[in-house]
Amino acid sequence: MNEAQPSLVIVGNGMVAGRFLDEVRARDGQPYRITVIGAEPHGSYNRIMLSSVLAKDTTVPAIVQKDHAWYAEHGIEFVSGSAVVAIDRQKQEVETACGQRIYYDELVLATGSRAARIPARNLDLQHIFLFRTIADTHGMMDAAASASSVLVVGGGLLGLEAAYGLAKFGAKVTLVHRSPWLLNRQLDRDAAAMLQNVMSGMGIEFKLSDEVDHFHGESKVEGVTLKSGDTLAIDMAVIATGIKPNAELGIDAGLLGQRAIAVDDFMQTSDPRISAIGECIEHDGQTFGLVDPLWRQAETLAARLVKAERLPFRNQAIATKLKVSGVQVFSAGEVQTREGLRELCLRDDAAHIYRKLLLEDQRIVGIVLFGDVRSGNWYFELMQQQVDVGPLLPTLIYGQEYCPEAA
Amino acid sequence: MLIAKESHQTTCPYCGVGCGVTAEVDEQGKASVKGREDHPANQGRLCVKGSALHETLDAQNRLLHPQVEGKTTSWDEALDHVAERWKAIVDEHGPDSVAFYLSGQLLTEDYYVANKLMKGFVGTSNIDTNSRLCMASAVVAHKRAFGSDAVPACYEDLENTDVLILVGSNTAYAHPIVYQRIVQAKKERGMKVIVLDPRRTATCDIADLHIALRPGSDAFFFNGLLSYLADHNAIDFDYLHRHCDGFDEALDQAKVQVPDLPSAAAYCDVDEQQLKQAYAWFAEHERVITLFSQGVNQSSSGVDKGNAIINCHLATGKIGRPGSAPFSITGQPNAMGGREVGGLANQFAAHMGFTPDAIERVSDFWQAKNIAKKEGLKAVDMFNAVREGRIKAIWIMATNPVVSMPEANRVKEALEACDLVVVSDCMANTDTAATANVLLPATGWSEKHGTVTNSERCISLQKGFIAAPGEARNDWDIISDFARRLGYGDAFNYTHPVEIFREHAALSGLDNQRDRAFDISAFSDISLDDYEQFEPVRWPVNDANPKGTKRLFEDGHFFTPNRRAKLIPIQARLPMKPPAADELIMNTGRIRDQWHTMTRTGKAPRLLSHIDEPYVQIHPDDARRFRIQQGGLVQLENQQTRYIGRAKLSEDQRRGEVFVPMHWNRVYASRGRADALVNAITDPICGQPEFKHSPVKTRAYQAAWQGLLVCSTEVTPASDYWAKTTLAEGFAYRLADTQQPENWADWLESQFSDIKDWISFQDSEGLAARFAGFSEDGALRCVFIVAQTFADVPADQWLATQLGQVLPVEERFTVLAAQSGDDSLSPGAIICSCFQVGENQIRAAIREGCDSAEALGAQLKCGTNCGSCLPELSALVEQERLQETG
Repeated sequence: MNEAQPSLVIVGNGMVAGRFLDEVRARDGQPYRITVIGAEPHGSYNRIMLSSVLAKDTTVPAIVQKDHAWYAEHGIEFVSGSAVVAIDRQKQEVETACGQRIYYDELVLATGSRAARIPARNLDLQHIFLFRTIADTHGMMDAAASASSVLVVGGGLLGLEAAYGLAKFGAKVTLVHRSPWLLNRQLDRDAAAMLQNVMSGMGIEFKLSDEVDHFHGESKVEGVTLKSGDTLAIDMAVIATGIKPNAELGIDAGLLGQRAIAVDDFMQTSDPRISAIGECIEHDGQTFGLVDPLWRQAETLAARLVKAERLPFRNQAIATKLKVSGVQVFSAGEVQTREGLRELCLRDDAAHIYRKLLLEDQRIVGIVLFGDVRSGNWYFELMQQQVDVGPLLPTLIYGQEYCPEAA
Repeated sequence: MLIAKESHQTTCPYCGVGCGVTAEVDEQGKASVKGREDHPANQGRLCVKGSALHETLDAQNRLLHPQVEGKTTSWDEALDHVAERWKAIVDEHGPDSVAFYLSGQLLTEDYYVANKLMKGFVGTSNIDTNSRLCMASAVVAHKRAFGSDAVPACYEDLENTDVLILVGSNTAYAHPIVYQRIVQAKKERGMKVIVLDPRRTATCDIADLHIALRPGSDAFFFNGLLSYLADHNAIDFDYLHRHCDGFDEALDQAKVQVPDLPSAAAYCDVDEQQLKQAYAWFAEHERVITLFSQGVNQSSSGVDKGNAIINCHLATGKIGRPGSAPFSITGQPNAMGGREVGGLANQFAAHMGFTPDAIERVSDFWQAKNIAKKEGLKAVDMFNAVREGRIKAIWIMATNPVVSMPEANRVKEALEACDLVVVSDCMANTDTAATANVLLPATGWSEKHGTVTNSERCISLQKGFIAAPGEARNDWDIISDFARRLGYGDAFNYTHPVEIFREHAALSGLDNQRDRAFDISAFSDISLDDYEQFEPVRWPVNDANPKGTKRLFEDGHFFTPNRRAKLIPIQARLPMKPPAADELIMNTGRIRDQWHTMTRTGKAPRLLSHIDEPYVQIHPDDARRFRIQQGGLVQLENQQTRYIGRAKLSEDQRRGEVFVPMHWNRVYASRGRADALVNAITDPICGQPEFKHSPVKTRAYQAAWQGLLVCSTEVTPASDYWAKTTLAEGFAYRLADTQQPENWADWLESQFSDIKDWISFQDSEGLAARFAGFSEDGALRCVFIVAQTFADVPADQWLATQLGQVLPVEERFTVLAAQSGDDSLSPGAIICSCFQVGENQIRAAIREGCDSAEALGAQLKCGTNCGSCLPELSALVEQERLQETG
């Protein structure tokens, strides 16, 4: 390690940090002494795959992308199991929970997000889990091994995956969701009903338009009462109602930001020495939860810090592509049918296939694909490029291979 | 029975050409057919309908057991029931209160037994036949001119002639093999072909001259011709002097009405130069054949038209010589056989009329108990009598008058109200069967066994080579059994058709001093072996002509009392009912691939691939006037009945006239029964109805939606308009209605209540919606597609291949696309039914250099089997050429 090289300190070692390291290393330019500080003891791992770990479709070692040896091999100092508690912008130093102070020439905040808590009483009882980390996952798996009745709170992607994984343990799983239908940001009611149908087939029960009022139990959770008044005996609960940016470190240090740490198009915070990427930032008032834009943030930042290139980050419309309990989902643009939009809708209930395209002036403005997503990207391109799909209409819904003239 | 695993020589049951068919049955009992090489009619050729005969032999919709009032019974019960009711009716109301209505589809032996029973034993001549709708005019014209109902020429003469005039005959479609022979001969010998038809038909493809004359003006044309012949020194006075009477009177009458070319041109509404050319060819050439068919016969003055034609041939001696004759070509396989037997109300028996001599002769011969002594009621009058209650029992055999008669809805009502309606048929689901009190299962082609006579007087055996299904019996056997139950057993103890044929042959020769043309006395004691190996032969076949007779009247001997032919003075008349201001004239006729009311041909998928819906061919100017779009639907109305068909805009049609196919029935279309719109106006002499000229109210059908339903089971779609086609594994329906159901899914599920597994596509704007239903095992049962316009309704060809298939569950939604996912071209509308070659393929080949029908055949095989599509191939080549140069 060359002391003369400027110091690049990365706080956080989640997926975006890992990606950022790759982007830096892929560029030949300004060399840095790099220090990565992670609160978890592991190296950078694919958090998305935790659902698969829970469902026993994979294992923790298989999802770790950069282990301790990797950092050593690449001359990167890795401070693991230790969160940064403060930033001293004057001295350009960060301070870890262990009291270690580390100087930086360039600081990158990639602190990510954490699971949102719900305003329910007795949330601190044992066997109530947030689903975020490897440790959470291990705890859930241990508890699930002996659980007979599990409550999952939240009908978004994470909650559904938790329910799916836990159902595989043999427990009776009940999922409670505040909205009238599942995945309500990505799906319309009909597609969601189809999803619910698929998951009901796995023995999962649903309580929609309902929320947890409070849990009960002595030390361990023993039951839950919902706002509807329903009471269930449970011996485990998982909260998966959403995420909250870990912005406090930056905000406390005086960086600007409302819900998260504000950055410009080049991932720079209000302090020119400090950059931020990932779920802890807000750009143009937007926060992030899906992985696609994060990769582009990592790229923009690496280009600036290493090559002094200015590659502005644009928050593009993106398509949501999910795989929920084995079922493919693709959605983009407007999801809910509303007055003024033309709806093309294809459904096969028995095969669990649903396609909906929303059109305005013969242009696609919304896509919901469930079960079969093969033409998703093509529809998405047509939407992005504002293509007049009028001439394709008779066969548009069946996909690209039915519209050869548009190829 | 008559089962074997070898090949059988038989005869096609469709048109009057009467082609020989070699049928083969393999060890599995599967039949195949090909043209019989040594049959004089076809010499190995077969048209598309004939080629598909083996595809119509399945048991679907066959009538298998007797039924009385909807209940299956034994034969004994059913026939006892009929005999008892019949006897009671005859006892109470007399023999004229009962009737037989027969068919040109029956074999001669069936006809003979039916005629014998009615005229000799029941004691009534109320026995008529669907030949009344077809040949009655020609029959009477023949009798007036020749003294006998005899076609002078044979098919060979069509090939040997110098000038062939086709009058009211779309030979290309209605008699495809005769047409093929003409095409070949024209290519080899280069004769002139003149087509007289208001419509430019496929036959005009080979015409040197197409005269699109005013509908029904044929007699004006031929009266004009007679005047022209007289003015141009073309009369054969020597022939007239030796063999004919009545020339002066006939010419005088012609001269009064149509003295010259301008008057003929005005009456016929055609160009004078065209007429002059046609007349000159007739006058100048030694050999002239005038081939006429339903365009002449189906008229309120059909007999006169026939005689106007014959007059011209007699006046010029162009008859009784090779390549020269008036030639009436029959529509049905055995119309001629019925006429030979005398199975019509105004004939008695075996070319004899109701003369005292004949009555005595036949009465003795039959040992008749109750001989009929006067004419009975002809078809239209017969059904009127049924409606008025004068006829209380009617037995209908092998025909479908509820579709084919004029004012067919009134026929339906009459039958529904009749005390006793017996229907013997091979099909269970005909429109007529639906009105029956008693249904009797009869054998069909390939099962029944007996003789038929074609348009050139050629008798052939139609052979039984497959066992009859269920309890079906031969018609002669059913009638004989019935006769026994009426108490006439002695005269009807037949055990094999050969016995009937011998008796028929004997009667034809009985006291026949060459005064009856029909004489087959040479067969009076034909052996069973000879009968079973019957070699096609043209009558007369008697001592004088043991090998049959190719051509009649070669010696100038006719069958009138003085043995001289008679020219008839003709006062030409136009059709009876002119159209009102908001009406067009509806002309009816055949299409290439269907036969009669489709009860048999409708079962063969490829025969519906050429034309799959009832249609209305209309001139573009008329279409504009009525705001009718190409591919839209047209509604025609008359007799409080609607016909709905797909609009075909075409300049082949004269302005003011539409053409509709005659075939569709209620099994194949909701509103496709064209004959229900035909007025029951008949020729006063022969009783043949005017099918070719019905004024009809015309308008664009205001379809709120158009649809396609493809399904594996038969349904009756809940829409005002539907037309069915048969697919290999199911059915396809084109649909339309003026009203839109509130909910498509409900509408569909109500018709397929057993299907629980549906997939759907719906468009919130416009009308587009598509559904597919699957059975429990995942097989595709049904696809329904609805669209705003017909142009947006996809073809059924690809869907037809998917019916019954179990599709991968993740792929099956794509059936709603109604096409396969790759971009390979769909063949388009099938033009060549034999090889299933479509319009798209053909056009593509033309653009790639095929510049003739032959070249197309070489590349795509289209047109190289039956050749029926050759005119269309040529037309496509021409269209593409015009597009290229235009």
